[in-house]
Amino acid sequence: MLTPCRAAASAAADYTVEIAPYSLEVSAHRLIRTVAYNSQVPGPLLRLQEGRPVTIDVVNRTSNPEVVHWHGLFLPSNIDGAMEEGTPAIAAGGSARYTFKPRPSGFRWYHTHTFAGHDFNKGQYTGQHGFLWIEPRENRGRYDAEVFLALHDWRGQLLASDDGSMNPSYDVSTINGRVLGFSEPLRVKVGQRLLLHLLNSSATECHWIAMAGHQFDVLALDGNPVPNPCRVPMLSLAPAERVSAIVEMNNPGVWILGEVRKHIRVAGMGVVVEYADRSGEPQWRQPEALSWDYARFGSTESSASGGGGITDIPLVFKSKFTGHGDMDHWTINGKSYPNTDTIDLRQGQRYRLLFENRSTEDHPLHLHRHIFELRRISGRDTHGIMKDTVRVNANTQVDVEFTADDPGLTLFHCHQQDHMDMGFMMLFRYV
Amino acid sequence: MSLFSSLPLSAQGNYEIQVYGSDTVPPDSTMVELHSNFTAIGQRYEILGVYPTYHQEHETLEITQGINDWAEVGFYVFTSEQNGHGVQWVGDHIRPRVRVPTSWHWPIGVSLSTEIGYQRAVYSLDTWTWEIRPIVDKAIDRWYFAFNPALERTWHGPDVRQGLAFAPAAKVSYDFTKRISGGVEYYADYGAFAQFDSFHEQQQQFFAATDLNVSPKWEINFGVGIGVTGATDHLIVKGIIGRHFSWHKPSRVD
Repeated sequence: MLTPCRAAASAAADYTVEIAPYSLEVSAHRLIRTVAYNSQVPGPLLRLQEGRPVTIDVVNRTSNPEVVHWHGLFLPSNIDGAMEEGTPAIAAGGSARYTFKPRPSGFRWYHTHTFAGHDFNKGQYTGQHGFLWIEPRENRGRYDAEVFLALHDWRGQLLASDDGSMNPSYDVSTINGRVLGFSEPLRVKVGQRLLLHLLNSSATECHWIAMAGHQFDVLALDGNPVPNPCRVPMLSLAPAERVSAIVEMNNPGVWILGEVRKHIRVAGMGVVVEYADRSGEPQWRQPEALSWDYARFGSTESSASGGGGITDIPLVFKSKFTGHGDMDHWTINGKSYPNTDTIDLRQGQRYRLLFENRSTEDHPLHLHRHIFELRRISGRDTHGIMKDTVRVNANTQVDVEFTADDPGLTLFHCHQQDHMDMGFMMLFRYV
Repeated sequence: MSLFSSLPLSAQGNYEIQVYGSDTVPPDSTMVELHSNFTAIGQRYEILGVYPTYHQEHETLEITQGINDWAEVGFYVFTSEQNGHGVQWVGDHIRPRVRVPTSWHWPIGVSLSTEIGYQRAVYSLDTWTWEIRPIVDKAIDRWYFAFNPALERTWHGPDVRQGLAFAPAAKVSYDFTKRISGGVEYYADYGAFAQFDSFHEQQQQFFAATDLNVSPKWEINFGVGIGVTGATDHLIVKGIIGRHFSWHKPSRVD
């Protein structure tokens, strides 16, 4: 059964997610009033088996309609978790039951998908996010310990920005809902291979993450294994992106895993990594620059899908000034949602989306219910990197390809909450 | 706006004609502004030894240094150029200012400045003055509102006995485009706070002004103002050009 229905009392669900107001203690005696899943931030880790049906009850104990988006899963439109696609909202005080076969395997997540506008206590600004781990039929990777970490920013407010409009700015940044020094350290042992699953659940902020004294062997982006796993000094995650990476624990000490940018680390984004039998002040080694390049993880070999028969869909993104006292509005091919064009797709056809970002802001672009392949990044070809969210930097172009193999309304949007709220959304429709 | 004296018999000193916003200059950076004000129609006669304002060209150098996220200090050098008097130094002021930090999440911008300084008696009979200026502002969509209900006090000069004077300023502007804003600025001096002057003896000025938002590094303002009372210069043209200098090389890892 793939449609949501009123939660049936007779049959027990595999999981229950309760949406309710919650006071999150980000540091000693510093509480943030928010909305969370099951009174915790992040919400509970849901471990599902690829292809094995699961039933999840969602109970909304807030005073607003809510919806849960199962980010990165191939689900029908009516349960994917976007009202724009046709998923019914869960009324205040109401509940819904979702039964589906989770796929594809890998690191996914679930989160709210509601409008926030100027209210930074709603939508993705809240604590409504949690990890989804879809166990593959054949487990890949060799590791000794596994840790899920969510990066989030809190207490947003609109402040004037250099680009002329207002943008959200935050007082507090956390990993798994705690500021650096308040959370329990990650306790490790020499020789361990630590598998980190990082999620950027921030409503609007890109983050760069490093672990002092260590490097990351990147295995997967957005839960999908990369064709060219390689070692990097830092990770970068735009909102909604995930990175899975191994860290070889071969440098005993007490270290900080945290945001590379000082002001965000000072705002709390970090966690202590403590080797067994080691103590002392956590150490940080400041990188001198930010670095990240998707193409490092790609293959240079052309894939079979790179030939003819691909339909190009150009998508141009621009901002629309609405005053120095407000956020910019956003357009796709000159129109803002809900007036954006709905583009018709033919099932089985392969499409190339030509993203052209003609704005001064980066955009994490997310396609629901599908996974796309990165093909061209700022003029450089790449192959084999499969993602559901890709950051298109300011004034650059990125091409991606996907096959229309999951009929139904499909939402495409910038995953920055302020951008999607201000028009950066459109739909694909199968005909 | 520095109005050195509110006495109707004294000359009006238009050296810095600006409604303050609540923002302060960031730490490790400096704002350098040049205020150029020309009195096209003003006082034609020397009164009590004070030069007439008619066709005076005022050039004011304002240097503001950011101290931290919520404080700055500004320094002024006032000069005047006029036929028959040449280019002359007029005086200097110092202006510390603090603001409500953004982390307080106030719905409006609020800051408080105080300005102390000296000006030569040939330009203002009140030679030592002090001002305290609350500043509130708010940007809403394309609109910007600012209000400066300033209080002034003379420490040396004829107005010493006057006590606190009320000298409000206000601004309403509209963003026509991302780069061009325009609106109205209002400057006044009502006289002693305890008993306002008659309207005729008050200073009341209205400027049509535009701001060009060409870059975060630059501040450009231009306006034409009229005085509507006998105690106010009747026509003034003003311009402000400012450049922001950062002494800390911006790093993406900061």
